Amino acid sequence: MSKLSIWQQFIYYYQHNGAYVLQQFDRTFLISIYGVLFAAIIGIPVGIFIARNSHLGDFVVEIANFIQTIPSLALLSIVMIGLGLGVNTVIVTVTLYSLLPIIKNTYTGMRSVDKNVIDSGKGMGMTNLQLLYMVRLPLSMSVIIAGLKNALVIAIGITSIGSFVGAGGLGDIIIRGTNATNGGALILAGAVPTALMAIVADIILNFAEKWIVPKGLRE
Amino acid sequence: MKKYFKKLLLVIIVFLLAISTTACGLPGLSSAQGGNDTIRITALTTTESQIVANIVSQLIEHETHYKTSIVNNLGSAPMQHQALYRHNADIQAAAYDGGELTANLGMPAIKNSKKANDTVRYEVKKRWDQTYLPTYGFSDNYAFMVKPEEAKKYNLKDISDLKKVEDKYSLGVASEWVNAPGVGYKEFEKAYGLSFPKMRAMNIGLVYSALQTGRMNVVLGYSTDGRIDSYHLKLLKDNRHFFPPYNCGMLINNYVLREHPDLKPILRRLVGRIGMHTIRHMNYEVDDELLEPSTVAHQFLVKNNYFRDKK
Repeated sequence: MSKLSIWQQFIYYYQHNGAYVLQQFDRTFLISIYGVLFAAIIGIPVGIFIARNSHLGDFVVEIANFIQTIPSLALLSIVMIGLGLGVNTVIVTVTLYSLLPIIKNTYTGMRSVDKNVIDSGKGMGMTNLQLLYMVRLPLSMSVIIAGLKNALVIAIGITSIGSFVGAGGLGDIIIRGTNATNGGALILAGAVPTALMAIVADIILNFAEKWIVPKGLRE
Repeated sequence: MKKYFKKLLLVIIVFLLAISTTACGLPGLSSAQGGNDTIRITALTTTESQIVANIVSQLIEHETHYKTSIVNNLGSAPMQHQALYRHNADIQAAAYDGGELTANLGMPAIKNSKKANDTVRYEVKKRWDQTYLPTYGFSDNYAFMVKPEEAKKYNLKDISDLKKVEDKYSLGVASEWVNAPGVGYKEFEKAYGLSFPKMRAMNIGLVYSALQTGRMNVVLGYSTDGRIDSYHLKLLKDNRHFFPPYNCGMLINNYVLREHPDLKPILRRLVGRIGMHTIRHMNYEVDDELLEPSTVAHQFLVKNNYFRDKK
């Protein structure tokens, strides 16, 4: 085996452990997606809310900023004290990290909607709710999706570290590589799909953005 | 367009709500905090414990309707103990009696293999309501090893035979062993009356190839390492019983066995079924042949037909 070059070992590894890698890929992907989804459930409404009550804005963004400054391994350990080992710990950590880009982008997007457009909406007799989903949200959608994109890429990175608390995923392969004597190929075997996942997620969200942003705004 | 957008929003909201209501058991993820039918198994970062954990996990999944999840990469024996103690996990796949004694039970090392095993079994039952199954059939000790031709040349069988060659032999050891409390190099010198002027401490993973390539004449490694068989290394007998035994067995929280009474006979199938050569071979496949522990475990179980013959 040591006669093979690192890339030959890499290919050999995939030929023999394909099913396992696929399973772990799936796991990493799901953990990241769940984390970002929960962050979106919390973050987008909070962002909308603080955009309308702007005196709260700085405070809330400051809190999200504060969470972001905690190193990921430390945050993982802090959450672990409460939730114990396993997948849920990682999902909560990913959610916490994803809050900042989502809240901040929703907030910024909402605030940057042209006042005149909102005024003309009011002039047409729109209610607040109509203003929100017919004017404010469509106009800020691309900024919000940019936040989601950012969050997802961060989430995939954090999920790899989550292997340290027993959540599994592609990080398991990377950690095994760092422990093995000749683990170069193993590290690559875990790291390449992780990077690939981040890139593909970015591309998919780009398409989603194009599809979701109203026709009149696409340029 | 606006109506369409409204619908889209509605769909997204419903989807998010649906997911958030199932938050305790997320679809697609066997959660470590999960439902009643998930058996959680801990494993260390070591190859061996991951292989054994995968064997246990696949055996349970194949022979029962229970789901399993492996809580992987735990740093140490105390961390595994904490996971079981706090009910974050149900089964510790690889529990070494020597390690459990000193690290978790806080007792002095016992050099008699059977006595150590029995003490662990008695103590974990009394203190933590756990069952310690008899060993799988292998024990991961520290062992001195030499090349077979050297062993023949100087007629080396026991560790005390090294007396003949202590001056010209260079010794390679794991750096964590040198100062290990109770069983380290100083105590070893005293117990065997040996001293090696040329001793080098190194990463445990390097000692086997150092011996094979002739950079070292005798090394201290782990007795279950796969390279022992592939390099045909000769293990020297610990004739003064200096190293405490590290028999590997399964540790189970008793509440799991009470809740799922059908589990115990299935887990007992593995007792005595993984011998020294078997685990060495599997370790070798993972460490040197780039196979995943789960792949190796699957091959092992299929080859033995999931030990169905043994009731």
